Amino acid sequence: MEVFLQQLVNGITLGGVYALVALGYTMVYGIIQLINFAHGEIFAAGGYMGVILISWMVAQGYPPFVCLGVALVLAMGYCALLAMAVEKLVYKPLRSSSRLSVLLSALGMSIFLQNGLMLTQGVYDRAYPGEMVQGGFEIGGAMVSYMQIVIVGITVALLVGLNTLVFKTRIGKAMRATAQDKTMSALVGINASRIISLTFAIGAALACAAGIMVGMYYGSVRYDMGFVLGVKAFSAAVLGGIGNITGAMLGGLLIGMIEVFAAGYISSEYKDVFAFIILIGVLYFMPTGIMGENVDDTRV
Amino acid sequence: MKRALYFLSLLLLVSFVAIGCGGEKKDEKKAEAPKAAGIKIGSLGPLTGQYAADGNDIKNGVLAAIEVMNPEMGALGPVTLQAEDDACDPRQAVAAANKLINEKVTAVIGAYCSSATIPAAEPLMAAKIFMITPASTNEKVTESGHKFMYRTCGRDDDQSKAAVKFMTDQLKAKAVYIVDDKTTYSQGLADNVEKLCAGANLKVLGHEHVNQGDKDFSAVLTKVKAAKPDVFYVSLQNSAAAAPMLIQIARMGIKTKILAQDAVYHPQLMELAKKDAEGVYLTFGYTDKETPSYKKFADAYKKLGEPGAYSAYAYDSAVAYLKAVKAAGGTDPEKVKAELMKLDFAGASKQIKYKENGDSGSNYVIQVVKDGKFENFWNPENGQLYKK
Repeated sequence: MEVFLQQLVNGITLGGVYALVALGYTMVYGIIQLINFAHGEIFAAGGYMGVILISWMVAQGYPPFVCLGVALVLAMGYCALLAMAVEKLVYKPLRSSSRLSVLLSALGMSIFLQNGLMLTQGVYDRAYPGEMVQGGFEIGGAMVSYMQIVIVGITVALLVGLNTLVFKTRIGKAMRATAQDKTMSALVGINASRIISLTFAIGAALACAAGIMVGMYYGSVRYDMGFVLGVKAFSAAVLGGIGNITGAMLGGLLIGMIEVFAAGYISSEYKDVFAFIILIGVLYFMPTGIMGENVDDTRV
Repeated sequence: MKRALYFLSLLLLVSFVAIGCGGEKKDEKKAEAPKAAGIKIGSLGPLTGQYAADGNDIKNGVLAAIEVMNPEMGALGPVTLQAEDDACDPRQAVAAANKLINEKVTAVIGAYCSSATIPAAEPLMAAKIFMITPASTNEKVTESGHKFMYRTCGRDDDQSKAAVKFMTDQLKAKAVYIVDDKTTYSQGLADNVEKLCAGANLKVLGHEHVNQGDKDFSAVLTKVKAAKPDVFYVSLQNSAAAAPMLIQIARMGIKTKILAQDAVYHPQLMELAKKDAEGVYLTFGYTDKETPSYKKFADAYKKLGEPGAYSAYAYDSAVAYLKAVKAAGGTDPEKVKAELMKLDFAGASKQIKYKENGDSGSNYVIQVVKDGKFENFWNPENGQLYKK
């Protein structure tokens, strides 16, 4: 029971982070059918921007929560701009060419960004300043740290915010319309280019927040941290049904849970294996993922 | 407008490459242009990836040795370095070794990971190139009977003995929990410890494996917490892997004593884990930092940064080779080998004297992290605590 509760707490924390990153994959795929491989690197860039800003502000003597809040907002803004720049420069000129060329340029962008981080920030692990949020409490034998609460809190706030944006606002409506049919939505006066840019920006901002939280949680960041997490988050997006926002959240949580429970009850060395076995199993019976709709591919 | 936007985007991308504020700028010496004459030695180690810090320590140690030895080499000089990256990956290590062979180096200092050293040794030995590892402690490294294979650091069978002796004699432990990350080195060492525990009346409550590069150890730690061992033995491939583990141990409120090993011994550990590294015990070779030979090394190393765990061993390995070359009057492998076997000098890390199988003996002691620094703690030879 102790193990179960503890792993539940850990699984929610980890799953939330996966969900945040998975959303970026799924939203971009939903709107332009591109698997944005550079998304994992945006996550890592966010982690670095966080460490730079937080280190600087802690050195200036600001209280931890102010540092965290300000760093989160600034870094998210930076990542949003970065993703928009990538989209404008690399993906947009290729929008009318084959999907394969865009996919390849996404791979290239991923390598470019990762090496950019390596060259500017060094190959070493970079430490986050102190533990921003210390302590924790015990509940039924499971240790819950305040850090985990902060992470889950921020994650939930971001997810709720995103849901409101997508399903309750005009911009969200425009996004959903563009995802359904680009040409048709353009005919009714939606600026598709702007909506696509915005989608990249939102996805990047979420990944950036995840990057900062992962950095804080594990105490350090490294230039290549985006790769493994990117793969897992992408799997989460596929598991949930790529293109579906609720699916990505669910997929992220599921992958996180499977991972920690497999590690807790079976073995740590096979945790990734189990996450992917479940992925394959689900896709075998539900090829479009848990929440995915059956979309006729000729449409795009 | 459109053009301006385009330009702005381009600027942002460039700015991404330039967000170097506070980025660690370590001395990256360019590999010097090959010269017709002189001695060319290679270094092998992970210069990128998660073990980059350790690989760069080795490279810098060799650079320091070259700087110290160059004036002494006379007509044989100058000595140049060709540094190659193996990323601690067996395949890349073999590729890097072949590249060094093509570059006509006469000795290779490296590698870091035993799992890279062992495969890389094969092509090097066939080409009669010396391989002196400053850091690979797995027993198998020197047990293949290679003629030109040497090791400046200790061996894991000795290290595990020191670890188990410390747990039973000093910590009076009855039960231990072991974790490793499945590399030739880390698992080999953990397996050794487990075997020795059986003979030492030390109960092994569990032996878990995690994946290389994992940062989330919550599952293993939950088990450790439930098992309540007296000592938690941590065998991970480097400090960057151990730091998040220590942070999570503290966060989960596990009060067990922690014993780690030589790969975790690195100043980076305290940088990353900060106060959570306090009180952690480690096994590491004994180095007296007050000797003139250590100070000479430290002086030469100063501009390369802070010495890492295996910097001094890499320095000694390169110095030993160059001393042997000097005595042999050339780089002929057989002659150099004869001279290498005669060597007996005070190195920066310890007294360097190679045995017939290439080993140089182990001198593991227990160290402890105190106030953000490593301190000698306990000597397994006599079972005494070091005086403050």
